[in-house]
Amino acid sequence: MTEYNDPSTTLTLPSPPLDSISTIRYHPTNPDLLLVSSWDATVRYYETGDIPPNSGAGRQSEQKAKFDHRAPVLACTFNEDGSRGYTGGLDTGVRELDLNTERITHLGTHSDSISSMAWSKATNNLITGSWDRTVRFWDPRTASTSSSGSAPTFQTSSYSTPERIYSLDLVGNTLVVAMASRLFHIYDIRKMDTPAQQRESSLKYMTRSLACMPDGQGYATASVEGRIAVEYFDPRPDVQEKKYAFKCHRQTIGEVDHVWPVNALAFHPVYNTFASAGSDGTVSIWDHKVKKRLRQFPKFPNPVSAIAFNCDGTKLAVAASYTWDEGEEGMKRGGLLPWLGVRKLGEEVKPKGWAGN
Amino acid sequence: MGKKKNKPLIRPWCWYCEREFEDEKVLMQHQKAKHFKCGMCPRRLNTAGGLAVHIQQVHKLEADNLPRIENALPGRDGYEVEIFGMEGIPAPDIADYKRRKEIELGLNPGSISQPQAKRVKTENRALTEDELRAQLEAHKALMGGGGDASKLPAAAADTSSTPVYGAPAQAYSVPPTPAGPTPPVPFAAPPAPYPGAPPMMPPGASPGLVPPGFPPFAPPLPPGATPPVGFPVPPFPPGAMPPFPPGPPGAMRPPFPPPGFVPPPGMPLGMGLPPPGAALPGPPGAVSPPPPPQFVPAQNPVGLSAPGVPPQLPPSVSGFGGPGVGVGGGQAGHQGQVPAPPPLTLPNPSLAQTNPEFKKPTSLKYADANFSPEEHRARHAKYYFAKGQEQGQGTESAAYAEEPRGKKRARAEDFL
Repeated sequence: MTEYNDPSTTLTLPSPPLDSISTIRYHPTNPDLLLVSSWDATVRYYETGDIPPNSGAGRQSEQKAKFDHRAPVLACTFNEDGSRGYTGGLDTGVRELDLNTERITHLGTHSDSISSMAWSKATNNLITGSWDRTVRFWDPRTASTSSSGSAPTFQTSSYSTPERIYSLDLVGNTLVVAMASRLFHIYDIRKMDTPAQQRESSLKYMTRSLACMPDGQGYATASVEGRIAVEYFDPRPDVQEKKYAFKCHRQTIGEVDHVWPVNALAFHPVYNTFASAGSDGTVSIWDHKVKKRLRQFPKFPNPVSAIAFNCDGTKLAVAASYTWDEGEEGMKRGGLLPWLGVRKLGEEVKPKGWAGN
Repeated sequence: MGKKKNKPLIRPWCWYCEREFEDEKVLMQHQKAKHFKCGMCPRRLNTAGGLAVHIQQVHKLEADNLPRIENALPGRDGYEVEIFGMEGIPAPDIADYKRRKEIELGLNPGSISQPQAKRVKTENRALTEDELRAQLEAHKALMGGGGDASKLPAAAADTSSTPVYGAPAQAYSVPPTPAGPTPPVPFAAPPAPYPGAPPMMPPGASPGLVPPGFPPFAPPLPPGATPPVGFPVPPFPPGAMPPFPPGPPGAMRPPFPPPGFVPPPGMPLGMGLPPPGAALPGPPGAVSPPPPPQFVPAQNPVGLSAPGVPPQLPPSVSGFGGPGVGVGGGQAGHQGQVPAPPPLTLPNPSLAQTNPEFKKPTSLKYADANFSPEEHRARHAKYYFAKGQEQGQGTESAAYAEEPRGKKRARAEDFL
């Protein structure tokens, strides 16, 4: 059986973060560059090579830069051309990283930890979501003086939500915000004053992850109770009828069902299939159109805390690290170092009979 | 390598059932028929991995639900080890088998496992697998700073640190710790991976280095606490020192002298220990009794390891060991002046959630319906970031934007 880190399929990245990995984001155009944020209060910038570490000729993977933060970092993203990165975490500050000069610029703050962020290509804005129950928009190019007159802020607007924001993602002009208490808001980012749709999760347990379909039709969301829902934006009844949910990342041992949280979802940029990552240490690839699993990758030694497809969909970055499901106890018991690697993808992410579209 | 020499003495044997065979061809046929046969169809595979993939793909079984390898000895019925004939057998099992074979054949110990011929040459030949492993363990123990390294689950040991005889090179190319140039174990407390590591501070400079965002050490001291004496008055009255708080923290306090020890006033040790309650800005003064014992072990090594700079130590500790800064260092994370995190509260209790009941017996791995694992984690002392600690937003952001890159670079280079 192939191992999770089998060098023929997987590149293990050097210098992984020293604590759990919260988010992985790939460069928008370069298939080998990625940003990784971590609970060790760093954001690291990697370039993947084509050979395993220490194996002779070829291009080695390397850590290109490391950005120290004051507190654990929960979210990161690139801007539209990938020259800059943005980060946010427990210290509530929004930072801009210049990936060439490694200079950090402070853009402003939320009033609680920043849990998620995304870059809007359509409007050239950074969008952040926080446990302070706001979605905020930032324009890193223009600073405005805040009302108190003290420091310049790059924040352009802020919108209140009914609950703490756990995750947000966007496709085109449609922003999906997943909150505590199983709430969802769907916004048109050109009309942020009121959400276009307000939904309650179709899953009965806490929302854990969210990802929008690259074709703009809908989104997938997953809960702590090993279940994924596929939902569509179009409110017409015949479209809404197509939504469904299914069980995953669980195992029956004896009489008992063991059910793990689904920590991350990521859509393939080309094939519209998606990957799910669970605290059970597995990553599965799903074709949501035909409702089939295409592949399950060999089990990772830790919960899978973050995944991301690169821009051309030839690679899947996977972070295996503790996700605090069992609190501090689990940390002590686990004790395993975070692992960060990139898996080369082949046909397994393509729907059967894919003809291109 | 050693296989040729052993041939006359040891015949090929099957790792799964320890049966011996005339030659490897027969052994492989045996493995195909007895161990790598699919239970659900007549198909026979060449290896355990092949069988696993077959069952997953053809019979659509989850990777977790694979049937154990048939006819195997206990403990050898898993898919983790890739066996192909005699290739891929874990080194300890080979050594073990040889030892038993020696006893069985009445040979002198070592006559199989360490052929007399060319023994000297073996010595010159780098290191044997066992030595390498022993050294790796020693290194891990050294770097792990105690129990952490040894706690690596068996899975890790199986996959990465167990050498394999006769296995293809890829078995080795999986580094036990993929950390490259950085120290492989995070608990190693390297020189200054985080700004919080006090020994790096130049003695005179540290107070000045305190970023404006952090309150300096002195102000939060209440009038009652006398810093020069350096000993916290309320919880440890100077005379009544001996009875240390019992419980778990006591177990992890090796460098500290036993209970009878009464530190002289002004000793660096006492200084390095932020007076519990005193150093806590704001409300937690009353809340803190539990934390102080915890901080004792974290602080003491610091105080003892840098006796030359006692006066500067406390300010730098409290200034730089800001919450969340020392996250990776394990010890550094528990700095004294972190205010106790307020409990998690629902911003809107009317939206409180309850998990529905399960129809079947179910072990839900994360059962809090109202707060995410990250919210809980953010409250843990190792990660907690007190937002109130920032002073003006302006100074804070300015300090951040201006933080010279060179300094960080230098630290990073130290680290590497």
